[in-house]
Amino acid sequence: MKPTDIADAITQALVQGGSQWMISTIVAFLPVLWTMALILHLGRPYVLRTLRRCGLRLGADVWWMSYLLMRDGVLLITFALSWIFFEPNIVANSALPLTGPLATLALLLALAVKLSRRVDDDVNAYRLATIFLVLGATLYYGPQVFAVEATSQPNLAGFGQFFTSNLNLPYALPIMWVSLAGALIVAGWLFVRTMISASHTMARRLSPTTHQQTPESKPVATV
Amino acid sequence: MSVQDLANAIISGINAGGEQFLEGTMAAVLPVVWLAILGLHLGRPYILDMIDRFTLRLGADLLWLIYAGLRDLLIVSGVIMSFMFFFPDVVLADQLPLTGGLAACALFGVLLVKLMGDPDHNLRDFQLTTGLLGLGAIFYFVPYVLGVQTNAVATGTLLNISNFLVTSSNPDWAVGIGYVSVALLAIMGAVAAGYTLMTGGRADMEEANATNP
Repeated sequence: MKPTDIADAITQALVQGGSQWMISTIVAFLPVLWTMALILHLGRPYVLRTLRRCGLRLGADVWWMSYLLMRDGVLLITFALSWIFFEPNIVANSALPLTGPLATLALLLALAVKLSRRVDDDVNAYRLATIFLVLGATLYYGPQVFAVEATSQPNLAGFGQFFTSNLNLPYALPIMWVSLAGALIVAGWLFVRTMISASHTMARRLSPTTHQQTPESKPVATV
Repeated sequence: MSVQDLANAIISGINAGGEQFLEGTMAAVLPVVWLAILGLHLGRPYILDMIDRFTLRLGADLLWLIYAGLRDLLIVSGVIMSFMFFFPDVVLADQLPLTGGLAACALFGVLLVKLMGDPDHNLRDFQLTTGLLGLGAIFYFVPYVLGVQTNAVATGTLLNISNFLVTSSNPDWAVGIGYVSVALLAIMGAVAAGYTLMTGGRADMEEANATNP
């Protein structure tokens, strides 16, 4: 083997190994994010109780703002990193939870509930978001703990074989495509809804000035 | 050996080494997190003393919020970092404290008490969280110090005890305790989800009932 061969091998290894390392780091980090997202979402009653004890409005605002930013930021990052479940090559070549794409879809639905309804004011909307999150977490944790991370357990071999994406392609790819279609439908609905909502809001903002204009009135600049 | 064989060997090395490095780092940081959690929880009277000395309400509020936020975020971090104790492959491959999974369950129990009770104002709840933290610390530190950190220097009976307390040298117990921990965590998680669904995210049941249509 010549020095250039070794250099080529190291280059290939760094490129391919780096890519695999990035994917495996995301996979390893996802349980952390899912748990953090769940704990922050379910911990809302505790955060509210602490907030009510603040004597000053400033402290309460800082506390609530930090909580909201963390809770929703973690949800969004978890969804963004879960995008690997919608990439066919990765699903086919890496050991991922079989129902990971469905978990990601449930997470997107929870985000959609938050975007379309006032989850922090409407009890039922909060419950709906909670149900989607718990469902998503269950679909993620089950195969992750008992299949992907349990290859050494002979008693779980059947479960592991079925629920690991690269070992069960006939199910893994259809689940991925169905979930991707669901995610696209939800994203499309959110997009249309935001467009309609923005149009209504802007129309409302503009309409008073047009109604107020009479022959005697002077033109008023709209903001 | 072909170029591809060599590349594959290096890739395996990078991935396996990286994973073990990550798990090793988390295992090394966990004792620090545990000590910080215990320090902050047990330091509550000191913080309350300091709050009494503030002449401005703003400073007192901020100190208490920073204290409560730091303390509770560390507990959440402890639970999250302990997730490796629930993965059978990791438990068998790495040298981890045998009862680390149960320690994680105790930490999650503390979070559950904080969610359903009020440890900062209710003595019974405070005693319960303190007891759970003490139990968790025993579950974590005893096998960590006597097992993971002693098995290289111990001899005779102490070596047997030391090997018993380390997951990789006691796979049957390690996996069994792992399953028990997962079951406990699942039950507590279900209770937390059920409670939050019933309250609808409100501070307590009464308020949830009042706001229900």
